[in-house]
Amino acid sequence: MREIVLSGPERRSAMPKNILSSMTILAVVLMLSAVGAVARNIASPMGLIRGRVTGIDKSPLQGVSVIVYRTNIGTVTDEKGNYSLMVPENGNLLVFSLVGYTTIQEPVRNRTEINITLQADIKALEYVTVTGYTNYSRSQSASASTVVTSDKLAQVPMTIDQVLQGRVPGLTISSSSGQPGQNAGRITLRGVNTITGSTTILYVLDGIPIESNYFQNINPSDIETVTVLKDASATALYGSRGSNGVIVLTSKKGKSGQVSFDYKSQYGFSEMSSPTFKMMNAAEHLKFEEEVGLETGAASSGPGWTYSKKNPVYATKTAGEQQRYDSILDSLANKNTDWRKFFFRKGKFMEQQVNASGGTDNVRFYSSLNYYNQDGIALRSGMKRMTLRNNVDFNSKKLSGNINLTLGYSSSSFIESEGATSGNNPLSAVFYALPYEYPYYPNDTLVHSGNTSRFPVMDLREGSNALERLLNTTNKSNQVKGILGGSLNYTIFDGLVAKTRAGIDFRQSSDEAYINPDSYAGSRVSNGRKGSFSESSRRYFSVITTSGLTYNKTIADLHNLEVSALFEYNFRQNASFNYTGYGIEGRLGETPAGISPGSATAFIPVVGGARGHSALASYIGIGRYTFNDKYTLNASYRYDGSSTVPETNRWHGFYSLGLNWEAKKENFLSDVDMISGLRIRTSYGTTASPFSSDFGYPALYAATSYGGVPGIRPSTPGNTDYDWEYTKELNAGFDLSLLASRRVRIIFDVYSKRTTNLFFNRPLSYTSGFSSLLLNAGSVSNKGIELDLQVDVIKTNEILWTVGGNYSYNKNKVADLGESGEFTKDYTAIVREGLPLGSHFAPKWAGVDPATGNPQYYTKDGQITTTYNAATLSVAEFGSYIPAVSGGLNTALSWKGLTVTALFSYMDQVYRYNNEDYFNENPSFRTSNQSTRVLYDRWKKPGDIAILPRIGAARNYTSRDIYDASFIRFRNLNFNYNLPAAFVSKVKGVRGIHVFVQGENLKVWTKWRGFDPENGNEYARFSYPSPRTYTGGINVNF
Amino acid sequence: MTKTYLINRTGVVLMALALFSVSCKQQLDLTPIDSIDATKAFRNLSDINLGLVGAYAVLGTGDISNTTLVSDEAMLPSENATGGGVATHRWQYDGSSPSVTNAFSENYTAIDRVNRVLAAIDMVPSSAAEALIKERYRGELLALRAYAHFELIRNYASKYEQGAMGVAYMKVSEITSPSRLSFEATIAAIKADLVAAKPLIPASFTDKSRITAIAVPAMLARVALYEKNWAEAITYATETISLLPLATKAQFPDIWKDKSEAEVIWKLRKASAADGLLGNIYFNTNNTVLYAPSFKLMNLFDKTNDVRFASYIRIDNNRGVGKTPNIVNKYVGGTTTVNLADAKLYRTAEMYLIRAEAFAETAKVTEAATDLNFLRLARITGYTAQAFATKAQLVDAIYEERFKELAFEGHRFFDLRRRNANVVREPADAINALGAVLLTPAQAQYSFPLPNEELMANKNMLQNPLY
Repeated sequence: MREIVLSGPERRSAMPKNILSSMTILAVVLMLSAVGAVARNIASPMGLIRGRVTGIDKSPLQGVSVIVYRTNIGTVTDEKGNYSLMVPENGNLLVFSLVGYTTIQEPVRNRTEINITLQADIKALEYVTVTGYTNYSRSQSASASTVVTSDKLAQVPMTIDQVLQGRVPGLTISSSSGQPGQNAGRITLRGVNTITGSTTILYVLDGIPIESNYFQNINPSDIETVTVLKDASATALYGSRGSNGVIVLTSKKGKSGQVSFDYKSQYGFSEMSSPTFKMMNAAEHLKFEEEVGLETGAASSGPGWTYSKKNPVYATKTAGEQQRYDSILDSLANKNTDWRKFFFRKGKFMEQQVNASGGTDNVRFYSSLNYYNQDGIALRSGMKRMTLRNNVDFNSKKLSGNINLTLGYSSSSFIESEGATSGNNPLSAVFYALPYEYPYYPNDTLVHSGNTSRFPVMDLREGSNALERLLNTTNKSNQVKGILGGSLNYTIFDGLVAKTRAGIDFRQSSDEAYINPDSYAGSRVSNGRKGSFSESSRRYFSVITTSGLTYNKTIADLHNLEVSALFEYNFRQNASFNYTGYGIEGRLGETPAGISPGSATAFIPVVGGARGHSALASYIGIGRYTFNDKYTLNASYRYDGSSTVPETNRWHGFYSLGLNWEAKKENFLSDVDMISGLRIRTSYGTTASPFSSDFGYPALYAATSYGGVPGIRPSTPGNTDYDWEYTKELNAGFDLSLLASRRVRIIFDVYSKRTTNLFFNRPLSYTSGFSSLLLNAGSVSNKGIELDLQVDVIKTNEILWTVGGNYSYNKNKVADLGESGEFTKDYTAIVREGLPLGSHFAPKWAGVDPATGNPQYYTKDGQITTTYNAATLSVAEFGSYIPAVSGGLNTALSWKGLTVTALFSYMDQVYRYNNEDYFNENPSFRTSNQSTRVLYDRWKKPGDIAILPRIGAARNYTSRDIYDASFIRFRNLNFNYNLPAAFVSKVKGVRGIHVFVQGENLKVWTKWRGFDPENGNEYARFSYPSPRTYTGGINVNF
Repeated sequence: MTKTYLINRTGVVLMALALFSVSCKQQLDLTPIDSIDATKAFRNLSDINLGLVGAYAVLGTGDISNTTLVSDEAMLPSENATGGGVATHRWQYDGSSPSVTNAFSENYTAIDRVNRVLAAIDMVPSSAAEALIKERYRGELLALRAYAHFELIRNYASKYEQGAMGVAYMKVSEITSPSRLSFEATIAAIKADLVAAKPLIPASFTDKSRITAIAVPAMLARVALYEKNWAEAITYATETISLLPLATKAQFPDIWKDKSEAEVIWKLRKASAADGLLGNIYFNTNNTVLYAPSFKLMNLFDKTNDVRFASYIRIDNNRGVGKTPNIVNKYVGGTTTVNLADAKLYRTAEMYLIRAEAFAETAKVTEAATDLNFLRLARITGYTAQAFATKAQLVDAIYEERFKELAFEGHRFFDLRRRNANVVREPADAINALGAVLLTPAQAQYSFPLPNEELMANKNMLQNPLY
């Protein structure tokens, strides 16, 4: 039996395990510190109370803190969930708490044995708001933040950013690629603030800012909580880096007590989900060829026309030739190759993890080792990952600290040209390839364009060439990532703590691409026609130090004050190097040793690379004042200086103010049973977003060359007024829980953001030598609401069934563009005052003229025209590719050790340009396979009411190609079963076993016609779709 | 714990912090690593040369690819499933089509680079001994500026005649919104730059990848041709011919393998694949003929006796079922890097054809026929000189000769436009054109559109009519 002695200063240095305790325990702790002196004086007779604490599944819970209310007397449960505690005579209330579980206050009522069942805490209302600088209980924080806990992160076979989809109101995540080893793609929080600036969210792991988009080597199972900071009262702590939102990851920490081991093992597989449009089969394509031949006269359009009975040439042939023609067509029509079989497969999945945790009150550790192996659904793709995490926390009387280390190695193999329209991309080749093309000759020779003179075929080998390339090339990336952080806190005197924290984020990526010289793909390499080998090395290094003082004081049991003054310095550096060598010796293959040395006429290797660096220095002041546990004021000021800004604008201050009111604690609410909790908050503050380039402001020249002779060229026109983009954000919200035991929980926030000084490329006349000039002007606003509702539909000691959902709506508007005026951006968008960012700009499709089959367009004044002119016809009436609505629906049912959870995610008011249609429904590509609409819904003769125009008409980009990309996705279904304690206890040394099965991405409901409504951003173009994945596994706790 | 002790401790921590902050403030003064600060771009004369090379570097070969796509010199074979350039080939382009609008930004970028170097050239120190080199650079810069503007007018003038819309002439690097000059005003400015450049480049400078003393009169001759200033065309063509004779039949094939620079006045040098593979327009490394020579063009050649035929076109009857045997061979190059070839911008042959046309237009039929026969004799084994009765016959013959001689060199479409002639595709060449067989001056696509981005960014810039 150990006693926990909690006192003021040490609470400041409390480890995140404690930090994560619920509001109640913190409230108790606060009171404890305030009345500590009184409590220590208690010396009345004591009674021994024993008991056992279990979960709803009757499994023992270890490490549950049991504390006598309003004292510092307490203990923790052992591995069997048992505790015993000497309780003073006047101690009549015990407080049971454990991270992730609901805290229970149990009256003693003269009992000597008290057994307790703790329910998993799935309420988001009481988590601590971890900002990386402060750890405030939610009752003392004005911040709108959402916490996602480890139980939702650990099992899903995805990267940590992808897992968050549908979990956090306001966080919009589009998984543009389902290829293993890729990250989520586009993630935005509370709308897009910028036109050309960075939209990247700042990620912070245990206080160390880490690179976004490199999460392959972070093991989600090591993460205890993800805290998404949304409003200015939290993001302003990050000043010039905060305006896109901050996601704070906190890794698992050791728990004191006997060392416990966990072993997790899961296996599974992934498969292709199907697109919602149909390509032609062999007979259909032959018929299409024949129709094209008939409709356009002499056009040569493939064997379907060449050998057709309707071709005038047919009649001139002899009976024997005619018979041969017929049999050619017949055999082609029956070929129907299923190209998916050649490019796709069932991808295997496997994950193994061992972790250990334990320690004493003074030193605790958490260590984990993880191996993860995921094969992609497309041939050749996959990722293997090994990670190690080691966290050590220690504390002595005055000093406390921690060291957190994560190391990861991953090795990914990618398909060719993901997202490209070229036939090298298997995802496009599978559509382009003709159904009557078959890759192999009867003698198993792969027939490609390089040997068709020996193996004659009647198609253009689009599928076979892609297959040959896939089989004879490699595209790999290896990544080593290390994140090391440590902190020391020293209590100078009661209440004043000196802190220092330092961290390093390091990554080394090595990419390799090889083209086999002895293959057809190798013969296509222009430089030397004998394959190529390229390698690139990319290094990222960032170091941060934060040091300062924190002072905490409680006065007269009413006033609680915490202020910090910190200095922070952050330096980032990146370096890359790459080469491509030619003339490969095939026997050596995938190694630089196989490269031929360059000579004046052949095999000259290509060498490249880059260097960059930036630095940020900050002075930070943070304060919190809480009165009577009811009213809290949060305030912060941060003065940032960055090397990425010209000296005149280099330093800038950012501030925030926030108020939190614990309304339930007011007398007028305390007796209202219907309302079991009410908290009201508001905040206002300023932030900025970092620049995507290190040196965007000076006029610069870069190296170039002409005909092998070096030269220089102006690379940026320069802008001396270059400045940050400033965001001001107002947030107001409340946390409301209703009914006894808080069965209905609502978190609601409304916000208004305005970003001014927008940083964008003002389009210039080309006569200036540049297409655009970066300048700061104009503003954009984002206003929205976020709602999270959770209801415990059934809540008994046996069963807990929760249903919930979250919803966010963001209204984005370009408020002002200064003198620049509107301009088009990227592929399809226009930036125009009054419209949301990402608004599509295209000529409006007016259907097909039934008389002529010509495509028709609407002019701006609503007239129909057949003359296409993107400049004069384009209008912005087709929505934006940045979704306005996103969210998720979730449910969880726990019964006797069985837990079933389901998650749906959705997006609405989002429109994308379906660039796949441009290729699959285009006369220019009629010799490739086309969608069945091109056969059945094309205009063929006067009077036809058709979707697609006549075959000879121009294929132009219009609103016809913009589709509603809203969807509801059945993201995850998980069955988790904790084996009964009675059974488990028979196995020696085992404390708990649970088994699980889950399905990921089970179904999508959408109007979208392409692969996947999430593929791509403004346009969708043959990306790697998210697979459907099933896994099953077991967790054993020793 | 005494109070003094506390103050001391706190003081030490604060002092440490303060020291740390000072050193970090200096850490913010980072400078770009991968770029050169504009104020240090031009320090001396060799930097001027680097800037000049940077201007050459931006020049492209869009004339060659676009002429191939839109004129009658090439056809789309069935084996090309890439879709690349097909819409342009079928004259379905407008201001949003990159193929035909790229030359606009490309040439103005070159012009801006030239103007920046011109602004710096008198600022850098140079010794008296370097004065000649400096003036040569100035000459190259002025001629390059003229060339880029000429490319702009060739591509984007509404017509090549008085009163038609020309292009804006940029003489300094600045961010403005200029409007288009008339065709004749643009031509005048181009000529002024060329005339200024002419005396500055010494004959001793013979790097064919750059503008030499021979290139300036050649450029003037071509400008005069488009201006229909026949007297100047004769003068400058004659001057160029006197400086550089035609290639012999033996030398001719080697020109296209970059083994000979005979009769090459100026060419864009392509040193490696990174500079672009010119031949990829026609025959890619995928063993696919993307655009084949038109039958219309092939049928004009004396296939056995004309040295040009085999240099430009290869016939391979063993390519397999459904594949075209006719392959444009002009830019396969002479290295192991297939399709790596220099773009020949000016050759002596063109000077003969310019002079012949100018003679014909100025009623000097005999002189015109002499030039034409001289060129044919140099190309065709066993050729006997022909006589031409009328000017019209002569002009037709000169056009036919230009079609053959300058095939795939980016002339045909512009040549047709010079005389408002239709682009006509023969049925054999239109099997995949889906009806695109006739382009007349009444259609918008007969002139190339200005890019839509330019029209949006610069309200003073007007689009060509009919778009």
